[in-house]
Amino acid sequence: MTATSAGIPAARTRTRRTLLREAARRHPRALFGGVMVVLGALIVLAIGFGTVAIAPGTTVAITLHRVLGIETGATWSAASEAIVWDLRFPRVLTAAMVGAALAVAGATFQGLLRNPLADPYVLGTASGAALGAAVALLIPVRIVVVEFGLVHAFAFVGALLAITVVYRLSRLSAWSGMTSLLLTGYAVGSLLAAGLAMAMYLSGATLRQIFAFLLGGFEAATWPRLAIALPLVVIGTAGILWRARVLNGLMLGEEAAAHLGVDVKRERAILLALGSLVTAAAVAVSGLIGFVGLVVPHVVRLVVGPSARAVLPLSIAAGACLLVLADLGARLLGDIPVGVVSALVGAPFFLFLLRRAQSGYEL
Amino acid sequence: MDACLPRSQPPLRLGALLAAVLLAAVAVAGCGTTESIRITPQPGATGSALPPSTATPEPSPSPAFPVSLTDDEGTEVEIPAEPQQIVSLTPASTEILFALGVGDRIVGRVEDITIFPPEAGPIPEVAGFGTVNIEAIVGLEPDLVIAGGNFFTPPEGIERLRSVGIPVLVVYAPDVETVFADIELTGRATGRAAEAVALAESLRAEFDAVAAATADLERPRVFYELDATGAIYGPADDSFLAEMIALAGGDPITTGSPDAFEIPLERLIEADPEVVLLGDAAYGVTAEAVAARAGWNVMTAVRDGAIRPTEDVIITRPGPRLGDGLRSLALAIHPDLDLPAEGGG
Repeated sequence: MTATSAGIPAARTRTRRTLLREAARRHPRALFGGVMVVLGALIVLAIGFGTVAIAPGTTVAITLHRVLGIETGATWSAASEAIVWDLRFPRVLTAAMVGAALAVAGATFQGLLRNPLADPYVLGTASGAALGAAVALLIPVRIVVVEFGLVHAFAFVGALLAITVVYRLSRLSAWSGMTSLLLTGYAVGSLLAAGLAMAMYLSGATLRQIFAFLLGGFEAATWPRLAIALPLVVIGTAGILWRARVLNGLMLGEEAAAHLGVDVKRERAILLALGSLVTAAAVAVSGLIGFVGLVVPHVVRLVVGPSARAVLPLSIAAGACLLVLADLGARLLGDIPVGVVSALVGAPFFLFLLRRAQSGYEL
Repeated sequence: MDACLPRSQPPLRLGALLAAVLLAAVAVAGCGTTESIRITPQPGATGSALPPSTATPEPSPSPAFPVSLTDDEGTEVEIPAEPQQIVSLTPASTEILFALGVGDRIVGRVEDITIFPPEAGPIPEVAGFGTVNIEAIVGLEPDLVIAGGNFFTPPEGIERLRSVGIPVLVVYAPDVETVFADIELTGRATGRAAEAVALAESLRAEFDAVAAATADLERPRVFYELDATGAIYGPADDSFLAEMIALAGGDPITTGSPDAFEIPLERLIEADPEVVLLGDAAYGVTAEAVAARAGWNVMTAVRDGAIRPTEDVIITRPGPRLGDGLRSLALAIHPDLDLPAEGGG
């Protein structure tokens, strides 16, 4: 008796949930629009709040003044303007950009490697970037490379070099499948990690800087850095979105993709390059931020299913949301590492989704 | 997060974390100033009187502001008017500003677990060890920020503050002579040039008094322990702390490299310290605990019972209490030393 009476409402909620899922799967565009609205709201919130309290009216007036040149007649101190325009704006927008970049790169690598545990860093980019940053920090002279900073430039180059080496080495073996690529990435990554450990051992006073890079964060965000990284991210992301169908094909397996008319080797190389470009640009401005690239694509897939055409744009929006929110949390909690906050916020949410998941998917 | 092992947490990150924690511990003890990256001139570390200051700024009767100063990183810093709102990002600067009588102008300061003077306690913290809250600092509208060099204040933070038009003076004293110079630099930056020269001169006199008192004494081999909870940390070669030990009449046992703060136990046993000083005494390390450590019982200092606690902060912090620090260090190395009354300057 009790079993049936308890069973009925449970079944009813399940039906409602199934309907919601169905709606989400059928209308990914509406869902995308909804997430973008949330992102907009989060960005406004994140620019409005920080360590220093600035009246919302002042923030709006400064924004209107700087963005549109509209004078509202309001006055504010130079410090307020510096905080809103020079500190918070680039920081929040960088967080959104990096979140979007890591999530889209994660979705790409997971699909490409058909490995649910792949993330943007899986093929050695993280170790390469970290070693690059460490080497830059060990160079005693401080050089600024086109407003970018030596550390950021070296991190970018290090990430791209690492993935290039991994790709080239994996092609040398007669067995050139995705498994070979993954294992080569692991081996090269381990070598680079050993180099990083050595650099850290020798670093003396710069250890803290290297460590900060490993934790990642947006304290160093500036307008020029954003302006340099953004085009790279936009170009890479657009290229990936353009290839969503190809990615869907590749997810079926190499043979199936080839039957569908996909030039597997070429497309795989292109997607790998685009994903790595986006990752390297993100890592160069923010250091190594984990979790986003691994988990956001899975969250999206749990909601809309595995099709790359829905997963890629939604991952972009959701990744941006997560890091803007996490960075706001990190700032309000006294500049704790953003990766800590994103994992603290995201992991329980992910577990909740996993528990509620009705149907799974396989990569 | 890490490249090579996305699934199982790699041991590298744990090691890095430990290393960072240890470094932070060393930095807390030494205020980060004993870390030396530059090649530092060693003022003939023989315990003789220090060479006279090269920079003797005349307390200018002419208007002191605007002033252009060269900081310890070689940056030209323009200070348009006498600063009224100062942010102090090193514990030593906070002490120097109070000693110069402008402590009440400090509007923000760095975190400091051994804050001195007590009046500095209520000043809001805007930076920690290795971190700096740029937004909070900009919000205070400072007209001068004094930051720590050699990565004590994150260089990017310094760059950000300068980019929004705040003058940032970076101080970093790799040796004792630079401590005196930094006091005078801080004085010129805050309109207290004459007071600063007087303070530096009195410190110099205290140093000379200790050097004179220890000049004819035997120089025991001294190991100054910064931390030994995991690996053993002590003064690096040519570091500020090694210079202090030499000035206090000891023969410093160093790590063997200007960049390393870790000393292998084997090296320490081979060096055979005659005196072990516990810079980590404030963290509960005692002579008994040291004597009980495996392998330490062969050292002369342990057999003779010459293991002594020190007040680490005043010895390693390059501020106005450094004279007291040197006196206490000399007394820890030579307990029977007859020093002239305090305040010899």
